[in-house]
Amino acid sequence: MKLICLVKFVPDVDSYQVDFANNALIREKARLQLNPDDVCAVAFALRVKTTHPDTTIEVVTMAPSVVTPHLADLLRIGVDLATLISDRVFAGSDTYATATILARYLATRDFDVILTGTHAIDGDTSHIPAQLGALLDLNQMSGIVRIDENLFGKAVAVFDVETDDEHVTYEMKLPAILSLTRDCPYKLPYASRKDMARDVSANLRVITSQDLSFPADEAGTMGSKTRVARTFNREYDKRGQLVVQADEAGIDRVYQFLKEKGLITR
Amino acid sequence: MKRCLVFLDGQALQDSIDLLEVARQIYPAQAYESTGITFGSETGPAEGAFDTIIQVRDDRIPSFDPMAVTEVLVELHQLRSFDTILVPATPFGRMVAPRLAMRLKTGLVADVTAISHEGGHLQAIRPAYSGRIMAAIEFVGEGPVMMSIRPGVFHWDRLAEKKTQTELFTPAQARTGTIRQLAVQAKEQTYDIRESDVLVSGGGGMIGHFHELERLAHCLGGQVSASRKIVDNGLAPRSIQVGQSGKTVSPTLYLALGINGAVQHVEGLKQVKHIISVNLDKNAPICSLSDLVVEGDAVTFIDKLVAKIKQQTSP
Repeated sequence: MKLICLVKFVPDVDSYQVDFANNALIREKARLQLNPDDVCAVAFALRVKTTHPDTTIEVVTMAPSVVTPHLADLLRIGVDLATLISDRVFAGSDTYATATILARYLATRDFDVILTGTHAIDGDTSHIPAQLGALLDLNQMSGIVRIDENLFGKAVAVFDVETDDEHVTYEMKLPAILSLTRDCPYKLPYASRKDMARDVSANLRVITSQDLSFPADEAGTMGSKTRVARTFNREYDKRGQLVVQADEAGIDRVYQFLKEKGLITR
Repeated sequence: MKRCLVFLDGQALQDSIDLLEVARQIYPAQAYESTGITFGSETGPAEGAFDTIIQVRDDRIPSFDPMAVTEVLVELHQLRSFDTILVPATPFGRMVAPRLAMRLKTGLVADVTAISHEGGHLQAIRPAYSGRIMAAIEFVGEGPVMMSIRPGVFHWDRLAEKKTQTELFTPAQARTGTIRQLAVQAKEQTYDIRESDVLVSGGGGMIGHFHELERLAHCLGGQVSASRKIVDNGLAPRSIQVGQSGKTVSPTLYLALGINGAVQHVEGLKQVKHIISVNLDKNAPICSLSDLVVEGDAVTFIDKLVAKIKQQTSP
């Protein structure tokens, strides 16, 4: 089978800093990581490859070139090809423009399934997989927590989706776009010492707007259908903030408060 | 007259009806016509809320198929040219909205939490950069305005009953046959934190002690909720997560234990009447939003408060 994993490298949320004076993200300080949901997509693909050695896996991402070492790491654990879609003119694209660029590339590829994550922890719009579904005329499903490996074949995929209330099993015709969540049990393998030293540069390629014959005025802010007009810090209602200690007097005060507000009724 | 379409998700009907409040805020001084669309499900309380309800009852179109449902919406839009299309940001809504926006070649703002108007421009507000900052987003181009709306944030006041006109819509085409539902299993019924009056919530400071919250929640007749950190560490199910990537809650009392209070978490608190925070750091962001701040160890706090309540209420 030919699998494509569409992934995104995101700033580690906990190392993330915002320059509040200038309303900008301090990108230099942000540590990058493979988006947690996307980790599951790649990990599942690698599992399929273990049981079906004729499987090929291509990882596709759109990003600045700083992600190159992260793509190399994925090649070292068994991904066959890493494609970095990268161009200055792509910067500032909203999800509409981004999906259009990605679809232009993906339409040139031969694949059975596109695996993605459901949410990205930075943007968290969940737009791209569904938008690609529309552009590539493929069905798409988000929130997948398990894919049946035994039934995973050329014709269909059987998978489970979990919501708050239900656990639903679906069968979808392939090709399709399947979007996993971090609640999947799939984990990335570690690279062996030998693989760590392997030169993988031959399997890593960069695709530019020129390669895709993508018009510059359809990318970036010019190709976007939405525009960030301003960013701001949200003002929340400040409250009393009476500070007490976790000692007898403090607990008495909390108890009193709960009693006054009718939150302890007995 | 402006035309606004609201997608009614059968799994979240009330959240979908509440999108009428968004429509009202988008058109504060303009007349608009509201249309709701349902696939297979009952219209229930939507009756009397919308000017028109369109029902799609077509065996070819399963209500769980994002592709089939989207194509019906495309066809309907081609017939009626809506000015605004609102979709609740439920799991299904989040698959349909981007798909539809792309088919209509229009922009979409995800998970909107507020509406504003600046210099004659409509702005959709949502948290950005993992909820560290708020962004006001404007629409560019000709297409209809499309937003997915965060459930639980907007509440529509049913002031008057409308004479709803109900129509049956049978699409001319159906794009189906790519998905089948093989099994549906209802999950063990847990509680819905959006309905809780008292929430005892744990954050990063409770890793290793999260289970202790249950005692206090029980004592106060409330439920336990969690921050993203706890859920990402696998200590609690995602269904009880409060915040931008979880749920928006409006309890009478929110007890925040070991929660720092980053914007992404606080975004999940709407119209909370009282907040008590327990934190080792009395300068944590959550503390400035609290009525009472307890500086100290959360487990000690639980032990002492539970003992106090038991002592005071025992006969």
